[in-house]
Amino acid sequence: MSNTATHPRSLVWLARQESRLSWRDLIWLMTAGYRWRGRSVVIWLVFVAVVMHFIAWGMVARYADIGLSAGIESLTAITGSIGLAFFLMLSQALQQVTRLFYGRGDLDLLKSSPVSLRRVLGLRVLSVATSTCAMTVFVAGPFINVLTFAGGPRWLCGYGVAIAAGLGASGIALVLTSALFDLMGARRTRLAAQIVAAVIGSAFIIAIQVVAIISIGTMSQSAFFHSESVIAHVPDLNSAFWLPARAILGDPIPLFGVLLIGTAMFAVPVLLLAGRLGDYAMAAASADLALGHSTRAGFTTLFLGRFRKRTSAQLLRRKEWVLLLRDPWLASQSLMQLLYLIPPAIFLWRSYGETQGALIVLAPVLTMAAGQLGGGLAWLAVSGEDAPDLIASAPITERRMILAKVQSVLLAILLVFAPFLIAMAPRSLEIAGIVAVGIAVAATSSTLIQVWFRSQAKRRYFRRRQTSSRIATFAEAFSSVAWAGSAAIAAAGSWVAIGPTVIALMVLAGAWIIRPK
Amino acid sequence: MTGLNGPGILGGKSDHRTMIVREMDSNRGGGGGDSALTVRGLRKVFQRPAVDGLDLTIRRAEFYALLGPNGAGKTTTLRMVGGLMKPDAGSVAIFGIDALAQPNAAKQITAWVSDEPMIYDKLTPLEYLAFVAGLWGVDPKLAETNARDLLRWLELAPNAEERCEGFSKGMRQKVALAGALVHDPKLIILDEPLTGLDARAARLVKDVLLEKVRQGCTVIMTTHILEVAERMAERIGVISRGRLIAEGTLDELRHQVDSKGAGTKAGDTSLEDVFLTLVADEEPAR
Repeated sequence: MSNTATHPRSLVWLARQESRLSWRDLIWLMTAGYRWRGRSVVIWLVFVAVVMHFIAWGMVARYADIGLSAGIESLTAITGSIGLAFFLMLSQALQQVTRLFYGRGDLDLLKSSPVSLRRVLGLRVLSVATSTCAMTVFVAGPFINVLTFAGGPRWLCGYGVAIAAGLGASGIALVLTSALFDLMGARRTRLAAQIVAAVIGSAFIIAIQVVAIISIGTMSQSAFFHSESVIAHVPDLNSAFWLPARAILGDPIPLFGVLLIGTAMFAVPVLLLAGRLGDYAMAAASADLALGHSTRAGFTTLFLGRFRKRTSAQLLRRKEWVLLLRDPWLASQSLMQLLYLIPPAIFLWRSYGETQGALIVLAPVLTMAAGQLGGGLAWLAVSGEDAPDLIASAPITERRMILAKVQSVLLAILLVFAPFLIAMAPRSLEIAGIVAVGIAVAATSSTLIQVWFRSQAKRRYFRRRQTSSRIATFAEAFSSVAWAGSAAIAAAGSWVAIGPTVIALMVLAGAWIIRPK
Repeated sequence: MTGLNGPGILGGKSDHRTMIVREMDSNRGGGGGDSALTVRGLRKVFQRPAVDGLDLTIRRAEFYALLGPNGAGKTTTLRMVGGLMKPDAGSVAIFGIDALAQPNAAKQITAWVSDEPMIYDKLTPLEYLAFVAGLWGVDPKLAETNARDLLRWLELAPNAEERCEGFSKGMRQKVALAGALVHDPKLIILDEPLTGLDARAARLVKDVLLEKVRQGCTVIMTTHILEVAERMAERIGVISRGRLIAEGTLDELRHQVDSKGAGTKAGDTSLEDVFLTLVADEEPAR
């Protein structure tokens, strides 16, 4: 490499700097800044990879024999899976591209330097594409490896499709962000992009479930992709629509086409919009500075009330609710689980008046959602306290403070899930009761785990909350899954529900024993 | 400064405060002596001792400045006094109340302000003050009067209904200070409260603090701006490696330095010279 290429401010020099920053960011994300966690992270990654391969084996090994002459059913199922993954990638890329413009970090330094901002931001968009591709390869890798092991090396073409999809998703994310800047202005783009990203991430999977419920009366995506009503509406076998599926199956020409399309979807927007990236960054910085001066208290003032006689617990509860209601980004992030409640709600509505069997399906979905929502809200209330010194210096005991925050979480959960319980109760009081207990214990368990593993952090790090304690993250997930299983089996009327209940209690006991003292 | 002469929180003793003082006096039989804060043998060890057997006595209605180099243990000391951190050993008494045995009683008459104003971005200053006043159990009517007075005096009245997100550092610090004063504390603990403030905001904060001291409030403050300590504090404590190495008025500190034969004439020495001489004696050879 020549000196000219690597001298300061050259493209290569900037790329090296960017890749170093990205790498360190990734390491921080995995280790939360603790050097001693490095070895544990490696062991953990290997463990996850092995488990993922086992899961992948169970899920896709039987499809390894599907050849290049696959029928319309197989192509539909593969294309549907690619669509699911693509929308998730697009959601992630959109959030990352938005952060390019709004993350202050070193952007002020770069803007004040004589380096071309266009060049820097162009490189950062490339970095977004790289991380999107890497994440896709990490998730899809075990499935591709299993298929390759069982069906031959032609399945390795799946990696090419994953990379093309990552590039395409990043390009579309850039176009969407640019459109939001132009349509809504810099002040609103950040929030709009975050909400659009959240909706995109869940919309496809929810839309499929909703259509599946309405058309064939099931929440299963697999059954949907194989259903006659879907097969009847897809293009014929010669359509270019099947290019990605054929590329995955190992056909080299479709693979080349998909790679070409993916590269073009990324390169064309970058080249066309590169000149405006600097303007967006400048506008974002100005919007940041202007923020607040015109932001009035809003309707939630009524909710918070002012200068009224209230106990400290009442004050703390209301403060938590108002802070959440006034932060649409946090609300959209923490209430994401609610989007996944749309299909069960539709399912409940569709199966109204039918047998109780339909209700049993809802028990684990609602219990799981309550556990996850409880964990997220509890993190915000307990660890994401923005003024910890104020609360610590106030004349209230820590126990009372924590209790008030736990109450704020559980009351919010009650408010969210009450409509479901009310809708279920007239059809089966027994199942509604079981689901109510499931929701209560799952939400309480997640909240307790967050209380035990509380660690002060800024609310804006909500999406990275798992880095502060992976044990808490996994304990929360395992307890929610166990309670969901328990609720499902109990709703079906079996005493076997005791099994997952014991597991959930053991998870809780384990978390309590190893909690930081 | 004209703004500080109005009725309310900066103009006279409030009912709430009188009530607390009366209650405290009856609790300790009017005791606590002359001291607002008494610290004995305070100790906190992290990897190394951050505070190492610190003794400190601050009189009522005194403005006390705690100085020291970076990492000397100033913030740790104040956090322990404010009840934000538990000491490994030692005792803290605030107006005669054992702050370790009765933390809530001590916190009831204490306010804490840090260099990094921790306020809620999504609340307006008025809502923030209502929340803080509620935590301290201030009567709502009195709290509202106090809050509006404070916002006016701190020149935040035009922003009273705007959310704090986007406020400058100075505005945020003033909101935090208003929060500390809205419950009319007897002891105000400030950790570098002037960091990042512009001249006007800094002047305003200093005026408010001096007015509080005139009203009988006790202030203990850390600062790296030695001129502020020199002008405002009645007594100055110098802390190094977790121990109090010198204490007194500026003149007393000058004499202390002169007695060590620093070679300067008493009266000519600035606090900066005094501070650097004192600290240099304690620093390990580099």
